[in-house]
Amino acid sequence: MIPGKYRSVSGRSANNVNCGLHLVIQTSSLPEKNKVEFKFNRDSPSFPGRLLQHDLERNYSSRQGDHINLVSSSMPSFPILQRSSEEKILYSDRLTLERQKLTVCPIIDGEEHLRLLNFQHNFITRIQNISNLQRLIFLDLYDNQIEEISGLSTLRSLRVLLLGKNRIKKISNLENLINLDVLDLHGNQITKIENVNHLCDLRVLNLARNLLSHVDNLNGLDSLTELNLRHNQITFVRDVDNLPSLQRLFLSFNNISSFDSVSCLADSTSLSDITFDGNPIAQESWYKHTVLQNMTQLRQLDMKRVTEEERRMASVVAKKEEEKKRESQKQSLLKEKKRLTINNVARHWDLQQRVANNATNQDRKDSASPPQDPCQTEGSTTSPFPEDTGAVDSGITSALQGLSVIDTHLVEVDGDTLSLYGSGALESLDRNWSVQTAGMITTVSFTFIEFDEIVQVLPKLKIKFPNSLHLKFKETNLVMLQQFNALAQLRRMDQLTVDPQGNPVVNFTLWKYYVLFRLSHFSMQKINGTEVTQNDMIMAERLFGILAHVASSELPQYRLISILGDARKKQFRYLLETKGKKPGIVNEENNDSKRLVGENTNRATLNYTTREFYNEKLEDIKEKKKFCKMYIEDLMKEATEVNMKNEALQKLWPQMFIELVRDAVIEIRNKNSYMKLCLQQITDQK
Amino acid sequence: MLSPERLAQPDYEYLAQRHVLTYMEDAVYQLLENREDISQYGIARFFTEYFNSVCQGTHILFREFSFIQATPHNRASFLRAFWRCFRTVGKNGDLLTMREYHCLLQLLCPDFPLELTQKAARIVLMDDAMDCLMSFSDFLFAFQIQFYYSEFLDSVAAIYQDLLLGKNPNTVIVPTSSSGLHRQRPALGEAGVPEGVEASLFYQCLENLCDRHKYSCPPLALVKEILSGVQRLTFYGFLGTLSKHPGINQALGALPDKGDLMQDPAMDEELERLVVRSRLHRTPRQHRAKEPGAAGTQRRDKLEAPERAPEPSRWQPE
Repeated sequence: MIPGKYRSVSGRSANNVNCGLHLVIQTSSLPEKNKVEFKFNRDSPSFPGRLLQHDLERNYSSRQGDHINLVSSSMPSFPILQRSSEEKILYSDRLTLERQKLTVCPIIDGEEHLRLLNFQHNFITRIQNISNLQRLIFLDLYDNQIEEISGLSTLRSLRVLLLGKNRIKKISNLENLINLDVLDLHGNQITKIENVNHLCDLRVLNLARNLLSHVDNLNGLDSLTELNLRHNQITFVRDVDNLPSLQRLFLSFNNISSFDSVSCLADSTSLSDITFDGNPIAQESWYKHTVLQNMTQLRQLDMKRVTEEERRMASVVAKKEEEKKRESQKQSLLKEKKRLTINNVARHWDLQQRVANNATNQDRKDSASPPQDPCQTEGSTTSPFPEDTGAVDSGITSALQGLSVIDTHLVEVDGDTLSLYGSGALESLDRNWSVQTAGMITTVSFTFIEFDEIVQVLPKLKIKFPNSLHLKFKETNLVMLQQFNALAQLRRMDQLTVDPQGNPVVNFTLWKYYVLFRLSHFSMQKINGTEVTQNDMIMAERLFGILAHVASSELPQYRLISILGDARKKQFRYLLETKGKKPGIVNEENNDSKRLVGENTNRATLNYTTREFYNEKLEDIKEKKKFCKMYIEDLMKEATEVNMKNEALQKLWPQMFIELVRDAVIEIRNKNSYMKLCLQQITDQK
Repeated sequence: MLSPERLAQPDYEYLAQRHVLTYMEDAVYQLLENREDISQYGIARFFTEYFNSVCQGTHILFREFSFIQATPHNRASFLRAFWRCFRTVGKNGDLLTMREYHCLLQLLCPDFPLELTQKAARIVLMDDAMDCLMSFSDFLFAFQIQFYYSEFLDSVAAIYQDLLLGKNPNTVIVPTSSSGLHRQRPALGEAGVPEGVEASLFYQCLENLCDRHKYSCPPLALVKEILSGVQRLTFYGFLGTLSKHPGINQALGALPDKGDLMQDPAMDEELERLVVRSRLHRTPRQHRAKEPGAAGTQRRDKLEAPERAPEPSRWQPE
């Protein structure tokens, strides 16, 4: 039976299979023995094929007067087929040889007008002996054992060629079949689409259930309307946009996993019906709307009508995805820029540290600095980072090339965290932060900045970010316990994180206790992520309590005042330097420092002066001391002179006294002359 | 006080020996620094306080290194202050690195030079494995002689070097920079070459040194005692023994004996008071922070609190 779908195509009522057939098959070599007569009832009902089957199954025993004798020839020669003349006249254009257990194509004699030939369900291995049937339009070789397409070169009128369910490995030898309308090659072993480009009238091509792994080489099939590629191993499809008439494409049960592999479908304007079920792509969440979005001309997907609703959804989703992709690309661009900036800052930092180390070691060995000078120039392009770009997506790299400046510092606000990289970032604290943003910040993180520089901006931090509770320090050169004293001026601190990287102070055994001791008025909750326990606080107090006691009670009054006064003075100095100072804030500062002093007088004297300021102070001291020295020296000279004179006097006085007395006695020895002398002296005085 | 020797000295010498001028200069300097504050309560009172603090040894707290180093009395006071403040660290049993001790020193004197601490550490560690941990008492005693007798030790180092190289020890020796000591250290363990120098020869040189120089030297009797006990000795061996000798400690008078190093009853009492006060401060805050052990500790504190006189808490809950 001819499969139903071809009925209308061929336009012929080819479904009336021969009912009533009189066959005589004769082999040429043994004329007598091999005379086989097939006789069929003329009035047999419309499915003679089945009857035929019955007959065959009954061992060809005679039935209702028909005797069918099938004698197989031992010699390799072809049986010759002959029909009775009645048959020939009645069904002159069609011949059915279904289920005849034929292993070869018989020679069909005298049937040159044949237009329909049916060899279904046999065991034929080669197409032969039909070259003379040059009027043949319909050839059905479904379900045989044909291994190669051949023997068709003379059938120029052929329109329908059914070669399903055979063993064909290659599409070939179809050159002359230019009128071919339907080509059915399903159920074979074909691996490649080829040699069909000349079939410009071909309308239906069935390559289902083959071994195709990809689809291309379809150009030239200008009339192709339906292409069935179900049940193959197809991973990608090409050339479909070269099929101007293609309306239906069946790709069910293949191996298509992404829309890119079938992207040519989007370019086809004629496609209205497509199936993808059974492919990996159909399992994806984005499957339906991606297909609908890319193929707006589609009317049916997977044998279901495409509704307007679905189309709308698809475009909405597609737009969202586009947005998301753009967003994520922007994000990754930003991230990359941030990473490069941080790298730059880190490099600067390293150089700085090395230079500082050189200065202290007075070592001239390190020559690493000069070759790296190009990196120190600000606003460097991406060229100093060859090793970095390798890791970046090519798309992002090209975008970054457009950025001509990479900063030497970075300020980042991420929800409740403010991150500062590089000392230039400290200037950003001067910016006008919106009250809302500033109020949300609870964590401030410093990286690649000298702690001494951070100390100077702590008052600003206190004012601008009043809710900052957690400070983080990484690569900030914290080397002395003393430096923690500087943190006491803040308003509040619940947590402190000091990253071991770049902060040697963390290597000390006692650093945490010292922090807890000095900053006890904050009642900190966590240090470096670990909770602070009561025991920790007590231990801190035990270790350093005496220091505090000594620092407060044993200092003479004037020193206490001077140290505290110094600290307060410094704070005011910083405040005065900030722009936009408001009188209200100054008052607040007063209260704050008063409160501070009230809380922790015993600790308040433990201050930290940054090295710079300390050196300045020392310079100052030298000057003043020089003056004092001179002053004291003068005093001492005076004192020693006086002392010397005193001593000299002491030594000389007895002698002087004796002389005085002697002089006086000598004078008075002669009373008369003494009286005369006195009187003389009185008159002289007048 | 009114001994004849005192009067026999010329003024300058007398003043210099007692470092009177140093203190006068410093007093005037302090006056200059803080004249606004001091003028409030009078200069006489200021001078009283100043010299009181000099007597008590508290004048060196948080002062610059040049002042602390200026007189032997300052040095001794500084040692004593260091001991008092950080005795608790030693009592706790923590072993610290040289850098950490230096940090502690810096808490009292911000510009204390690292060199001195390093030298002290070398004495303790016998110039070996400088990152080793040291105990508080070891470090303190080594630091004592290094700081108090720093000039003397520098000269001794120079002498030692010369002796090693076989030079004539009786020539005038000028102390060179101490960094030279380590590069020229002879390789030990060479077959047949004995370590260090001969003790008696060394003693002779030291005797000469002490006679000649004005800066403070350890009592010669002690030095003789140490050197008479051994045949040969190394530089750090000598210093190590010197630092551990109780006689030095007594001679200086700044620190208590090793056995009593951790004892300071007055301070301990004070400390207890401080600890209690801090606990009281902490408890209300803890309660708010909802720490797991909060309830337990609170109860405990409440039981303990009535036993001591309640301190007026200045901490206000926010």
